[in-house]
Amino acid sequence: MSMRLYAVFIYIFLYAPIALIAFFSFNAGRYAMDWQGFSLDWYGKAFTNPIITKALVTSLIIAGCTSVIATTVGTLCALGLERMRGSLRQLFDALIYIAIMVPGVVIGISTLIAFVTVFDAVNPALEAIGMARLQMGLWTVIAAHVLFNLAVVVLIIRARLAGMDRSLVEASEDLYATPFATFRQVVLPALMPSILAGLLLSFTFSFEDFIIAFFVAGPNTTLPIYVFSSIRRGVTPEINAIGTTVLLTSLALLVLAQFLLRPSAKAR
Amino acid sequence: MPQLAPISRSKTVTALLVAPAGLFFFFLLVLPLIVVVIYSFGARADAGGYAPAFTLDNYANLPARGQAFFNTLTLAPLGTLLTALFAYPLAYFLAVKASPKSRTLLLVLVIVPFWTSQLLRYYAWIMILGSKGIPSWLAYLGISDLRIINTPWAVLIGAVYGFLPLMVLPIYVSLEKLDKRLLEASADLGANSWRSFLQVTLPLSLPGVATGSMLVFILLMGEYILPQLLGGGKVFFIGNALVDLFLQSRNWPFGAAVSTALVAIMFVTIVIYMRFVLSRGDVRRAALV
Amino acid sequence: MADDKIITPQKFIEELRRFQKGSVTRRHFLGVTGLGVATAVLGGAMPGLKPRKAYAALSGTVNLTTWPNYHNQENLDAFTKKTGVTINMNVFGSNEEMLAKLQAGSTGWDVFVPTNYTISTYKGLDLIEPLDLKLLPNYDVASQDQRFTSEGTIDGTVYAVPKNWGTTGFVINTKNVTQNPTSWKEFWDLTKGPLSGRVMVHDYQLTTIGNALKYFGYSFNSNDEKQLAEAEKLMLEAKPHLFAINSDYQPSMRNGDAWVSVAWTGDATQLHRDLPEIQYVLGKEGGEIWTDYFAIPKGAANKDAAYALIDWLLTPEINAKEVQAHGYPSTDARTNKLVSKEMLENPILYPAKDLLTNLEFGAAATLTNPLRAEIMARFKSA
Repeated sequence: MSMRLYAVFIYIFLYAPIALIAFFSFNAGRYAMDWQGFSLDWYGKAFTNPIITKALVTSLIIAGCTSVIATTVGTLCALGLERMRGSLRQLFDALIYIAIMVPGVVIGISTLIAFVTVFDAVNPALEAIGMARLQMGLWTVIAAHVLFNLAVVVLIIRARLAGMDRSLVEASEDLYATPFATFRQVVLPALMPSILAGLLLSFTFSFEDFIIAFFVAGPNTTLPIYVFSSIRRGVTPEINAIGTTVLLTSLALLVLAQFLLRPSAKAR
Repeated sequence: MPQLAPISRSKTVTALLVAPAGLFFFFLLVLPLIVVVIYSFGARADAGGYAPAFTLDNYANLPARGQAFFNTLTLAPLGTLLTALFAYPLAYFLAVKASPKSRTLLLVLVIVPFWTSQLLRYYAWIMILGSKGIPSWLAYLGISDLRIINTPWAVLIGAVYGFLPLMVLPIYVSLEKLDKRLLEASADLGANSWRSFLQVTLPLSLPGVATGSMLVFILLMGEYILPQLLGGGKVFFIGNALVDLFLQSRNWPFGAAVSTALVAIMFVTIVIYMRFVLSRGDVRRAALV
Repeated sequence: MADDKIITPQKFIEELRRFQKGSVTRRHFLGVTGLGVATAVLGGAMPGLKPRKAYAALSGTVNLTTWPNYHNQENLDAFTKKTGVTINMNVFGSNEEMLAKLQAGSTGWDVFVPTNYTISTYKGLDLIEPLDLKLLPNYDVASQDQRFTSEGTIDGTVYAVPKNWGTTGFVINTKNVTQNPTSWKEFWDLTKGPLSGRVMVHDYQLTTIGNALKYFGYSFNSNDEKQLAEAEKLMLEAKPHLFAINSDYQPSMRNGDAWVSVAWTGDATQLHRDLPEIQYVLGKEGGEIWTDYFAIPKGAANKDAAYALIDWLLTPEINAKEVQAHGYPSTDARTNKLVSKEMLENPILYPAKDLLTNLEFGAAATLTNPLRAEIMARFKSA
C-alpha cells in the first residue's frame, strides 16, 4: 500500500510541472505566472510567429537528418564491428565510449574550434577560386549531432545483435541464400525494432539539444535556442503553448508507434 | 560469442561498413579533441580568442575554477545518488507490485516527461520554486522566507526531476528479469520481506542501478542549462565556466584547458567506476548493453 | 555651462583622451563635452521624411541581433509588411557575448546593436562594415546629439549610427525595500546586509565590476590592478548574498523574487510602467552612461535589407514609436519632438543634471582588459 502511495507521489512530482506549463498556456495575460483568465490567443500567436515556426522547422530538419544519418551509419558500423576482431575493433569500442562520455558542452566547444580552424584555413583558397565560403549552418549542427547519436545507435544495435538467434542465420545459409538475401530476410527484420528505437532516440536527442547547437548553429535558431533565450527574457505564454503542442504531438506519436509496432511484435 | 561471420568474410565489406562511422569519429571527435588539447597550451589573444604559444599557464590557472570543479564533483554524484534513491522504489513498484495490465501504461507515463522540452520543464521549476510558488504556499503555514530557487537545492531538485526516467528504466529492466520464484523460495525459507529484499532482490538489481547511475552521472557532469536556469548563474558547474570562457571572457586557451581537465576527470572516474562497481562480469555486461 | 555649444566628435575624443590621461578634471571634461546637460534636446528644423527608393527589390530575411526588450514589435511587423523581409531577431545578454560570437565567425547577422565602447574594437578586428550614409536617407547627422554619435565614427569613417542612449543604475521594489538607497555604496552594503538574497547584478564584467569600483569612488573604467583587486574582494563578499547573476532581471523583478537589480534605463521604464512601486536609482557616485549603435557586421549576407531596416528604425515617426515602447531616450532631436511629453519629462529617461554629471562612458580598454574578464569569471565561478 505504501508503495502505491509512493508511486502516486512520484507521478504527481513528474506531472505537476508539466500540468503547470499546459495550464498557463491558456492564460490571457502577458506574463506566464500571472493568471488573467482563459484564452487560446497564445496558440494562435505562437503558430503565426514566423520566428517560432522557422525555429520549429529548423529543429525538425536537423533532428530528421540527424536521426536518419546516425541510424544508418550506426547500424552499418555495428554490423561491421560484429565481423571485426583485434586492435582496430578495440579502437572503435574506445571511440564509441568516448563519444558518449564526452559532455555535450565539450563536443560543442571542440567542434566549434575545429570548424573555425578549418574554415580559416580553407576559406581564402575557396574565395580565390571563386567558390562560396564555408560557414557554420545546419550542416555543422547535424554533423555534431550525428557524432553523439551514432555511438548510441551502435550500442543499441549491438545489444540486439548479441541477443539474436544465430540459428536462423545458419539455417538461411544452409539453404544457400546469398549473404545479402540472408541479411535482408533474416538479419534486418530482427534488427528492425532496434533500428526504430535508434531513430526515435536520436531524433529526440537531436530535437532537444541546446548546448551543441548553441555553439555551432551559426545564424540558425533552433527551437531549444529560441526557448532558452525566451526563458531568460521572461516568457510569455507563447512558449507554454509551443511546449504543450510539442508534448501532445510526441504523445500522439508515441501512441501511434505503440499501435504500429504491435503487429510486428506479434509476428515475432 | 558466436560469429555472424559466414554471411561474408570479405574484409572489404567490413571496411565499407565501418568506414562512414570511422570518418565521423575521426573528423568530429578525434580531430577536435586534438585541437582542444593543442589550444590548451596556447595564449589568449589581445582582444580574446586564441594566439599560438606553448605555455602551461592555462593548466597552472585551473585552481581559479576550483569552485566550479568542486560544485560539479559534489553535486553531480549527490544528484545521481538522490535520483537513484527516488527511482528505485518506483522501479520496484512497477516491476514487482504493479498489475501486469497497468504496467505498460505506468511505464510509458514515466517516459513521457522525458519527451517534453527539458528547458520548459526546468522553466516550470523556476515558477514552482520562485517566491510565487512553493515559498508563498508555505508562508500560509507560517514558514516564511524560504528560498530555494538559485541555490544548490534547486539544482538537485532539477537533477532528480530531469533524470528520474533515465534511472527508472534500467532498474526496472533488471528487476523485471528477476525470477520471482527466488523471492518465494526466500520467503519459504523464513526470510522476512526486508531480508529477502536485501539478500536477493537488491543484489540482483544492482546492474540496473549501475547503468542508470552511470548515465545520469555522465549527463550531470556536463550540465550547463540546469545550473544556469535553476542556479541563477550562482551555482556554477564546469559546463557554465566553459560557456563563460568561450562566450564571455573569450579566453579560448584557458577554456580548452578546462575542457581537457573535465574530460580527463570523467575518464578517470568512469574507468575507476567500471573497475570496481562493475567488476563483476554479469553486472558489467548488463551495464554496458 | 556649455549648453549651447555643440562639440565635434574629434574634439570629444580629444577631450576624452585628455580626461583619461588625467590632464583635465572630470568636471572640465563633462562641462566641455556637454555631458552635464540633462535633456539636451537639440534644436534644428524637422526635415521632411526622405523616401527610400527600392523597397520592392528587397527580399529574404534580415538577421537582427539586439538586446532584450529593445524594439516595438509593431514597427518590426510593419517593416516586414512593407518590404516582405522577415526579421529574425536574436537577443544577447552582453557586448562580450556579441564580440565572442563575431570573433568565432559566421554568425550570419545582418544588423547588430553594439554599445559605444565596442566599436573601435570591432573596427580593429575588421569585423564591421563602414556605413554608406547615402543608403540611410532618414539618418540626419545634424539632428543628432553629437556627444552620443562620436564613437560611431573612426578616422572620419562612419561605422555605426546611434540608436538610443541611456544609463546604468539600479531598480528597487519600494514595496519591500524601505531603505531608500541613493548610492552604489548603499547598493552593495544593503546586498551584504538586510537585502541578502534579493539583489541581482549583471552577468558581464563592465557594469558589475564598474559599479563595484564606484563603491570605493574609483572610475567606472578603472584598469588599475589594485583598485580592481578591491572591487573583486567586494564582489566576492557580496556573492553569497546575491539572488542571481543575470542580465535578464525583468522576470525576477516582476514576480517578486528579486527586490533590487542593476538595470538599464528602458528596463526601468518598462518595469515602472507596469509596477509603479519599482523605482530607478542612479548611484550618486556615478556609473555608466552609454550609447547603442546600429552597425553591419563584415560579410553580412543581406546588406540591402540591413540598410533598409536601420533606415526604417531611424525614421523619426518610427523611432518615436520605438521610444514609447522600450523607454530608452533617443539621440535624435527629430524623434524627440514626436515623443510624448510624459516620456520627455520622465526622470528615468532624463535623470537630474547633478546625477548625470558623474556618469562615464565605458571605454574600449575596459571592454578588452583580460584582467577584468578573468575577475568576472572568477566571481561567477566562486
